[in-house]
Amino acid sequence: MAANFWTSSHCKRLLEQEEISVVSNDDRDRGLTQEDVKIIKIYFSSYIKKLAQRAKVRQRVVATAIAYFRRVYTRKSFSEYDPRLVAPTCLYLASKAEESTVQAKLLIFYMKQIGSDENGFRYDIKDILEMEMKLLEALDYYLVIYHPYRPLVQLLRDAGLSDMIEMCWSIVNDSYGTDLILMHPPYMIALACIYISCVINERDNRLWFEESRVDMTVIKNIAMQIFDFYDNYRLGFEDRIGAILLKLSQKS
Amino acid sequence: MLELKNGIGAKRYVKGISLGEGTYGVVFKALDTQTNRTVAVKKIRLGKYKEGVHVTALREIKLLKELRDPNIIELIDVYPHKRNLHLVFEFMESDLEAVIRDRNILLSPADVKSYMQMCLRGLAHCHKKWVLHRDLKPNNLLISSDGQLKLGDFGLARIFGSPDRKFTHQVFARWYRSPELLFGSKQYGSGVDIWAAGCIFAELLLRRPFLQGSSDIDQLGKIFQAFGTPRETQWPDMTSLPDYVEFQFTPAPALRSLFPMATEDALDLLSKMFAFDPKARITAQQALEHRYFSTDPAPTKAHLLLRPASKAEGMRPPPELASPKEPVVLSPPAKARRISLFPGVAGAEHIHHSKESKDGSSAATVGETPSDHSGMAITDRSYLKRKLDMDVHFEDERHV
Ligand SMILES: Nc1ncnc2c1ncn2[C@@H]1O[C@H](COP(=O)(O)OP(=O)(O)O)[C@@H](O)[C@H]1O
Ligand SMILES: [Mg+2]
Repeated sequence: MAANFWTSSHCKRLLEQEEISVVSNDDRDRGLTQEDVKIIKIYFSSYIKKLAQRAKVRQRVVATAIAYFRRVYTRKSFSEYDPRLVAPTCLYLASKAEESTVQAKLLIFYMKQIGSDENGFRYDIKDILEMEMKLLEALDYYLVIYHPYRPLVQLLRDAGLSDMIEMCWSIVNDSYGTDLILMHPPYMIALACIYISCVINERDNRLWFEESRVDMTVIKNIAMQIFDFYDNYRLGFEDRIGAILLKLSQKS
Repeated sequence: MLELKNGIGAKRYVKGISLGEGTYGVVFKALDTQTNRTVAVKKIRLGKYKEGVHVTALREIKLLKELRDPNIIELIDVYPHKRNLHLVFEFMESDLEAVIRDRNILLSPADVKSYMQMCLRGLAHCHKKWVLHRDLKPNNLLISSDGQLKLGDFGLARIFGSPDRKFTHQVFARWYRSPELLFGSKQYGSGVDIWAAGCIFAELLLRRPFLQGSSDIDQLGKIFQAFGTPRETQWPDMTSLPDYVEFQFTPAPALRSLFPMATEDALDLLSKMFAFDPKARITAQQALEHRYFSTDPAPTKAHLLLRPASKAEGMRPPPELASPKEPVVLSPPAKARRISLFPGVAGAEHIHHSKESKDGSSAATVGETPSDHSGMAITDRSYLKRKLDMDVHFEDERHV
């Protein structure tokens, strides 16, 4: 793990599960449950991914955008900031922050290509640029996010497991379906993904984990959250998101 | 306090006079009513609903939020006001360029040492946090009212450390550009900042910019004139750099002849900051530990350093004309378009870098490395879960 993570704002701002999963009063008033909130986050994480695929940006940009999205909603409610606008704006901001700018007008174009209008994806450039400022404020202007990808490569090399990189990499990708990036140092997430791969491939590397002297309870806990995602939240929720967003637009 | 700050925004500051116009906004002097400090507020111009917050401003915000050091400018606050973003910095009375230019200021060896120490401390902090400044020059080394030198202007800075990422070499004002940048390197590291700091060191000793090239090629010529044309043994990677051009061999004059007044220690440090091979160049931390900083005279205490009366005073001496002693380009490089490049051809560098994108981005595609195929099949999952449950078991075994 690069020495810089430990002194980064990302590290200082890691959150506990309880701080993340509270449903704001505004959202509760509109009838949103914790489960709804979870589904919104998963739906829009994958929406960001889809949008990013069109825009052909690096994986890193996608990961940063999703981290921004999830972080914003630890401080703002879905009723206040419409996720349909926040998601593309997070990608827009992340593309700039990661030095691979995607023009706002292109994003709007891609949104129209993939978006279903009946769900209210009707925003324009001006809306994205306005939301950009609000997001910066909601993020308290902290824009640097570390990801598990780089430590993953280093750890696998160190463990002599570089042949597992493909599987680990895609598990890391999928870990963005959870709030893990807001809660744990990226190298712990990377370790959990390696752990999962080892179990699947029946590779016994207990010794290596032992030597790395990480807290296996935490690693397993992270792994369980990824499993929970695979088991219960893998499917895009195209069917349910409409009803949830409808709740949002209705005053209680 | 956080809530208060966010609530107040613009109202927290009482705007004063304009301090100057930057590349992407106007800078005002202001009073921070919350702390009673004088601050500098940079109002970022927004293109009329075109591309939102300027990337330069975003870069500065992103990196300065991660850096905190006595020798790095403090970003006190950021707030939006009337659709413009405002960056609040600590107020800086002057900058090193004004000091160097001011003929009324005599810079003693202890003063030079003090400035270099502060500059290298700021730089060491950046590099420890994997941030490259990429725009070091006297004008961007700001000086506070208590004499502290602080690195400012992070609009070109970036995080480094990912070896596969290609950077633009169009950074730094030309006179402060390292030879690897001038040869088009895109995978450079902290050595580029050290080279620039070396140029600033030299400038403090000479009281004029050290290597004043009029084009990129001429800049290389000036460098080789001062330090000799590098041999392959000195810098093995040189010939494989994208814009490598062979120069006629010139031997290195004694460094002493360029800096007649400098001490042996100063010359030794200087030569290490100007090592051709970036891998062999001294790091900021090593430079701070160099004996130059521990031998007499001790660096002048910051608050005792003389400061210029006004920024406008004094004039930079005219740049020197290209001297005939400079080494000449021998062979044209691989690409024919560069044949036309000769020392002193004004604007030549525009030809040869025109295709470089401004922000140096070279976007790769989603899921670049190992693949984008996501996740596992459902059968894997239940299997996995079983394995995991079993696994608790194998953990227990270990403790037997
Ligand atoms: N922190 C500061 N304190 C005082 N003056 C400043 C400060 N920052 C910038 N300035 C003044 O505002 C001018 C423009 O600043 P800046 O935007 O950084 O310039 P540029 O983009 O041209 O490098 C500077 O030349 C300087 O005179
Ligand atoms: Mg400047």
